Amino acid sequence: MATPIFVTAASIAAELHQAMLEAKGLALTAKNARALAVRAGSKTVGFKAITHFIDELASDIIRQSQYINGVSEHLSQHAVALWRATMAADKFEWISGQHSTNLDSLQVAMKKSYESREVLSAQLSRGLRELEQQLEEGDKHIRTANLIATSSKVEAASAGDFRNQLEVIAQNITETADKIRAHLSRARNLLGQRQKHN
Amino acid sequence: MLATTLYEDGDHRWIMFGRDPNKTEGIIDTNQYLIQSGNQAILLDPGGIELFAPMLSAVLKFVPAEKITHLFASHQDPDIISSLGLWDQALPNAKLYSPWLWESFIRHFGMERIEYCAIPDEGMTINLGRIQLQFIPAHYLHSSGNFHVYDPKAGILMSGDVGAALEATDAPIWVDNMASHTPKMKKFHQRWMPSNEAKLDWIRRVRQLNINIMAPQHGRLFQPPYVNEFLNWFEELPVGIAIR
Ligand SMILES: [Fe+2]
Ligand SMILES: [Fe+2]
Repeated sequence: MATPIFVTAASIAAELHQAMLEAKGLALTAKNARALAVRAGSKTVGFKAITHFIDELASDIIRQSQYINGVSEHLSQHAVALWRATMAADKFEWISGQHSTNLDSLQVAMKKSYESREVLSAQLSRGLRELEQQLEEGDKHIRTANLIATSSKVEAASAGDFRNQLEVIAQNITETADKIRAHLSRARNLLGQRQKHN
Repeated sequence: MLATTLYEDGDHRWIMFGRDPNKTEGIIDTNQYLIQSGNQAILLDPGGIELFAPMLSAVLKFVPAEKITHLFASHQDPDIISSLGLWDQALPNAKLYSPWLWESFIRHFGMERIEYCAIPDEGMTINLGRIQLQFIPAHYLHSSGNFHVYDPKAGILMSGDVGAALEATDAPIWVDNMASHTPKMKKFHQRWMPSNEAKLDWIRRVRQLNINIMAPQHGRLFQPPYVNEFLNWFEELPVGIAIR
């Protein structure tokens, strides 16, 4: 049995929720890095500049994760509604196949269930497309994060006494970016599997 | 849907879901609970069909679907388990533990894949990951076939409709004053609980448990000293009488 779409959408929301938590950690790292760079003075000007990028990136990721999270949660709700509408429509169709006694009295309800089935499945495909676009956006953030991580390592190398501490921070950025990438790619996989079934 | 961690020791966790600010108007607010240990998790009284999507979404933030291996329905009410038909789609390999008495009724909510595990009247103990959970008989409180869930390691008793209070969705989660809380519970218990005898028997058994948290399905949760204060209050309260 294919995984129901409301499960897929809720699982995607959960991945994005994790990505957001990681990004919040990243924002904290940026703050620590900036404090350290300020204390270290002129040798770490480059690193200090980078911390602004990290900060911006973290809030971009947080904002976007929250957005995607909302989209997928809505999607999950639409999918449940669609499932219920489809179930009702199927039952109505079954009844129409059995007999026609008083079938007229069901017309309004039948029409409603067909309509909502259509509206909901249109909403669902729109939502899925939007989700796909948003997740692609997310990949751009990851590329940025990798660039930042590399430059942080380079800057750390020339930071004299503060080298070790800054290297730890640079490593931290790399690891967090990896974790966020993993969550995003799991979310994309979930979506990809979903579309194969459709 | 708000999620609150009630207990955490390694991978053994209790999480409460509820106080949903987006809840449809006119449906009673409910507390749902997730217990996790190792690779397994159980959802206690997963709730009504209206709550399914926000619940699933909230739960997946803690465990992936395939690790939700068990469901528990304390009794047959719609606010407890009318979502079953949807969980059946979401968790095809799960087991549902519920009173044997209600099996043929609960199946009306739609269940094709999930396995119904009937709890005998005297209750039973199950393994979940590395812990054990006890299904404690609570018949006639209020349903004629009814169980509570006790986790001896965490010292938490999920007490279903016992201890329930009707409150605003934004009420705090902990009881902090019995005098102001009992009026919110009184009518509910008097109307819903049919048997003083069953009540006293339950109180006698529950007094022997070591309880750090008593967690009902509606309203606030109890911690010592309010657990005992609740039991004393309930003991004195005549039930099954609010028909006038
Ligand atoms: Fe009930
Ligand atoms: Fe209830």
